[in-house]
Amino acid sequence: MNNSIIRYVLGYVLRIEAALLLLPILVAMIYQEDTFSAFVVVAAGAFVLGSLMTWKKPRDTSVYIKEGCVATALCWIIMSIVGCLPFVMTGAIPSFTDALFETISGFTTTGSSVVNDLDVLPKSILFWRSFTHWIGGMGVLVFMLAVIPTIGGSSMNIMKAESPGPVVGKLVPKVRQTAATLYKIYIVMTVIQIIFLLLGRMPLLEAIMITFGTAGTGGFAVSNAGLASYSPYCQWVIAIFMMLFGVNFNAYYLIIMKKVRDAFKMEEIRGYFLMIASATALIFINIYDGTMTIEHTLRDVFFQVSSLSTSTGFVTVDYDQWPAFAKTVLIIVMFIGACAGSTGGGLKITRVELLFKSMFHEIYTYIHPKSVKKIKSDGKTVPEETIRSIQIYFFIFMVIFSVSLLLISLEGRDFESNFVAVLTAINNMGPGMSQFGPIENFSSMTVLSKYVMMFDMLAGRLELFPMIILFNPRVLKALFTPPKFNKNRKIWNY
Amino acid sequence: MSESGEIISRNIIIVGCGKVGAALTEELCEEGHNITLIDTNEERVNKLTDSFDVMGVVGNGASYSVLKDAGIEEADLFIAVTDMDELNLLCCTVARRASHCEAIARVRNPEYSDDISYLKEKLDLAMIINPEEEAAKVIARMLGLPAALSVKSFANGRAEMVRFVIPAENRLCGRQLKDLSDVTGGNVLICAVERGEDIYIPDGSFTLHEGDQVTFISNIIAARRFFERIGIQNRRIHHVVIVGGGKASYYLCKLLIEDGIEVKVIEKNKQRCEELCDLLPKAIIINGDGNDRDLLREEKIADADAFIPLTGMDEENIFLTLFASDVSNAKVITKLKRNTFHDVIGKLNIGSVVYPKYITAEMILTYVRGLSASMDYSNIRTLYHFFGSRVEAIEFEAAGNSKTLNIPLKDIRTKDNLLIAGLIRGRRNIIPGGDDAIRQGDRVIVVTTHIGLRSLDDIIA
Repeated sequence: MNNSIIRYVLGYVLRIEAALLLLPILVAMIYQEDTFSAFVVVAAGAFVLGSLMTWKKPRDTSVYIKEGCVATALCWIIMSIVGCLPFVMTGAIPSFTDALFETISGFTTTGSSVVNDLDVLPKSILFWRSFTHWIGGMGVLVFMLAVIPTIGGSSMNIMKAESPGPVVGKLVPKVRQTAATLYKIYIVMTVIQIIFLLLGRMPLLEAIMITFGTAGTGGFAVSNAGLASYSPYCQWVIAIFMMLFGVNFNAYYLIIMKKVRDAFKMEEIRGYFLMIASATALIFINIYDGTMTIEHTLRDVFFQVSSLSTSTGFVTVDYDQWPAFAKTVLIIVMFIGACAGSTGGGLKITRVELLFKSMFHEIYTYIHPKSVKKIKSDGKTVPEETIRSIQIYFFIFMVIFSVSLLLISLEGRDFESNFVAVLTAINNMGPGMSQFGPIENFSSMTVLSKYVMMFDMLAGRLELFPMIILFNPRVLKALFTPPKFNKNRKIWNY
Repeated sequence: MSESGEIISRNIIIVGCGKVGAALTEELCEEGHNITLIDTNEERVNKLTDSFDVMGVVGNGASYSVLKDAGIEEADLFIAVTDMDELNLLCCTVARRASHCEAIARVRNPEYSDDISYLKEKLDLAMIINPEEEAAKVIARMLGLPAALSVKSFANGRAEMVRFVIPAENRLCGRQLKDLSDVTGGNVLICAVERGEDIYIPDGSFTLHEGDQVTFISNIIAARRFFERIGIQNRRIHHVVIVGGGKASYYLCKLLIEDGIEVKVIEKNKQRCEELCDLLPKAIIINGDGNDRDLLREEKIADADAFIPLTGMDEENIFLTLFASDVSNAKVITKLKRNTFHDVIGKLNIGSVVYPKYITAEMILTYVRGLSASMDYSNIRTLYHFFGSRVEAIEFEAAGNSKTLNIPLKDIRTKDNLLIAGLIRGRRNIIPGGDDAIRQGDRVIVVTTHIGLRSLDDIIA
């Protein structure tokens, strides 16, 4: 395995993280908080370490899919470890496990929190917490590909490992420009949302933090009062933007290229809006009882569907109090998740669509055993290979889900709490139900359960494979074996 | 990656991901262009998009909707290199109608070879390339100077760039370049030396060793004389044996017969033999298996002056040349399709090696570089890659506004590792000295390790 390129990529990511830490430093300076020094120390440390790691450019710059997966998984782990240090050092979250949980939850855009009292936290800490959502939403490696010259022709393998969705394609011929285009769309949409929230009289810092949470589909609340305290206007803005950030970014690219019709022809986009509309309608019919205005109920339902289907996890209403039918609809929506190629989590609409199609395909072959029929999507035949990999993906998803559920169950909580807690971690959602419901948090979990949840969050964000490949014994061994110098041929054996 | 000037990326669409398509992708990607590939075979597209930073579209390159998917509206250059000539021409025709891009087509069927200029003009194409014919030209040029490993020509053959290996105990061994005037006769310039893994652009104090691969520039007559003086034999070739009767061998035979060389072609397929018989009445056509040892003996390959296997199989070609160098003193030339094992092949005793796909890629690269420089700059006329693309030899035409004009060369501060290796003025090739100056309209040959020069002004440090 090409360890030197992995080291190089990790070093670069550390340097980028150091640069990103400048923003909370700025916030700390503006609000004159004593968290300033902690952020500076972490940023400087990350920069020095990163510079040392990128000191020597590797001679062999080939990145195969294996290197792509390992580099991605390691990057996210290291990023989270560095990112959690300010929490520990400032005493905002004194326990390392808790701080790491909070940071991983941030970077993976989960939004599950272990903090009991948000109002006592310094502004800069809250800002960093929300900012991790924004960074993790589009992915830090995609950012890296956008800003540095290509490290090799095969850097696409890094992007593939980090971007959500079964098939990752390019928008334009070069990886660098593709990554840059994605980030441009991301930044522009973020700015638009901030402006909309400011128009709703939301304070600037709060507007920025809420927008970070929305854009990355993260869902950290920024005060104890939660989102229910905002005006109906702000709630609508947030709900709509959550939905928009769950749309496949390829569609936005098509719209920029003035191919609006093509964008709305994408089966995934149609399926996505159909799912949100029908889930909203079903829950609305189920819970509407006339005690609140139609607008209020509709707003609550739409907000919750939009929030949970895109895996954001913002909450305006305690949906744990809803009837079982409404809650089940929410759980189904949580499973399906957002579009591939968006910042959202979950199984992804494309995968679910293709799984359904392959199910009908199988039924069809029972009726016409000799028939020749291919599965199509957007008018194009989907390769067998893709279908197979999606089926396996679903199975791996279920395996990780079951094992995690088993481990979490050791704590002795009720089934619903555990089930939704694991679901919420692996799909990067945020709040769970019952004992981990919207008004509770995860601080009461045991350390073991927290680490299980952390693994699930990372695995879910990185689409399962990178984490599994990283923990493959052979890969681990290759990663920790130093290269041997072959004296006869004067080359390094990796 | 270009080191000179600003990087101008062009949007290039390549249809056909075969060997030539792959070689082009590799070279053009290296230059930093935005490349989109089109092929009907998904596997081939994926293979290239996995290893290079390019975009792939699966589909028929002649279909307008596929071209639109590939971004034909923004394309600057369109290259069609599928294995069907007619499809290539159709692709280019559609592309030319669909946008303002320039178009290059590969057409290699000999039936069209007389129509090339007509097709080019009427279909309004920038270039029609025929890798087989170009390979044949390269091989024919090598046969004109059998002692050389490779011969590359500039300005329609007014100057040649010749590469050879210094044999053991040669006169050149251990001598410095500045003391070589007795053998060079003042009109041979040594411009690059490869020793082991290293490449040198040598100066006067450079000492030559046995086994060095030396590249020099001169005209063909001076080169012959130079070989004579250093004691390397350059027999004239009278009798050539070619194995395989494909398109390349047809083009080669035609060229050789025009030069009055006797040609013998060994071809397995009876029907093809009869076709060749019609096309090449002066050639001796033998119907038989080129791998048959007895047949080769019977046809006396030991007496041939040159032996050139041009079968479709790389392995066969290599074995045949190994065999031929074993049993005869013939000049052997090996044509290879793939360069996967080029480092191993470099160690084999198989004489000169020709890669048709790289010849094609170089021609297109020349064109693209010219396209990248704006119109009023000195344009690139020819470009060759050496030593696995680590050294480039470029022929520029000096335009009136070049900053290098009329300054004695000793006063131009050129980049390191860059050598002005030749000035072609009119029909004459001048070996430039410090007092010579570039004049407008000169063809200037530059040898350098700075990959990516686009105009003559780029040579200035």
